[in-house]
Amino acid sequence: MDIHAELKRVTMFLADYAATLMAVGVQTSRVVRNTGRMAESFGFQSHMLIFQRNVIITVNDDEKEHTYTRVQKIPQLGLNFATNMNLSKLSWEVYDNHMSLDELETRFSEIRDRPRESPWTVLLLVSFANACFCRLFTGDIVAMATVWLATFVGFFIRQQLMKRHWNHLAVFTVSSFAASMIGSTGYLFGWGTTPDMALGTSMLYLVPGVPLINGVMDIIDGHVLAGFSRLVNACMLIICIALGLSFTLLITGISVM
Amino acid sequence: MLTSDFILATLADGLFAAIAGTGFAIISNPPRKALLISAFLACVGHGVRFFLTHYELIQMNLASASTLAALTIGFLAIPFAIYIKCPAEVFAFPSLLPMVPGLFAYKTVIALIKMVQSSAEADTAQYVVQFFHNGITTVLVMFGLVVGAVIPIFIFHRQSFSVTRPVIMKKRGN
Repeated sequence: MDIHAELKRVTMFLADYAATLMAVGVQTSRVVRNTGRMAESFGFQSHMLIFQRNVIITVNDDEKEHTYTRVQKIPQLGLNFATNMNLSKLSWEVYDNHMSLDELETRFSEIRDRPRESPWTVLLLVSFANACFCRLFTGDIVAMATVWLATFVGFFIRQQLMKRHWNHLAVFTVSSFAASMIGSTGYLFGWGTTPDMALGTSMLYLVPGVPLINGVMDIIDGHVLAGFSRLVNACMLIICIALGLSFTLLITGISVM
Repeated sequence: MLTSDFILATLADGLFAAIAGTGFAIISNPPRKALLISAFLACVGHGVRFFLTHYELIQMNLASASTLAALTIGFLAIPFAIYIKCPAEVFAFPSLLPMVPGLFAYKTVIALIKMVQSSAEADTAQYVVQFFHNGITTVLVMFGLVVGAVIPIFIFHRQSFSVTRPVIMKKRGN
């Protein structure tokens, strides 16, 4: 095959691969390493620049005679650790026993399109998780029950709005508002001994833990810009959670928080 | 003193953290086998943190205790990563989720909102203190968690970056 045509196909594929990794929440250094490893197995070198929304990748051959550059938009996929693991595995497989680009593309799209856990399982587990989280903050059984219901309703709203492709910030505000309204019932009706914990933990399931962790990890790795943009995104979401909660406080007139 | 009540409280704390860890992890769709391990690590990590912050002879602050708990998680994650051939982050990071200082994070924002709303100077001063206390706790705990979990990954650099490589044993034999 003509070197330029091959270079072009490899670059197109690697750009797609790197953008998918970024979308499913892989830390930047791993994206760079995995992509570089795959390029190496084709006898090329890859250099990349990563932003929050776009990946820019340049691939050149060993003699640096030919290069190909592509700017790829990062898709909106939602965090997915299974894809992270399988795509990392794929990069080693390519490195150790070289595969053709056709085979690689089939494997890649098969991994990317694997179904997620069922939304109902996730909904139930998150509800129980947040109820237990309330217990960790010394909430009593009444508070736990309140938080369970608050999380169930709040997370259901979040799932439905996400499916309708609402703006992330709006989804978080609405979901936090709904959850904290239910969380505040303990206060309003005087149920249980720790209504403050029920209210305080009812929307903690929204806290973007993985982006926060990835952001700090990127900063430690030296990808400071990528790390900061993740952290700023996470902070925006936290501000939205607090906004939703303060609407609740405004309506109910509770002022202990 | 290590009373049986205290030990039971620590164990209960760990168990509830395991359920919380599982639920928060499943939002990001982890592989099934990693989910169980992250539940176990969340249990150990949160239990360690509860012990360090509540045991009367230690009474450590939240940031240092979180760092040590994360360090424990990181060291335990390496053998598991080698065993199931999966990057350590895939189950070490979800197991940190129950320790992410979400409550402090939004309390910071609430303090900020109240600081703007309040008119009396004495009230404002109180909210400024709350803002900085909660904000700095959030940042330090967050950094402590990640640094703690990552140190073991860096120490066992070779093992942890190539665990997803299927044929590594064969290669070494050659």
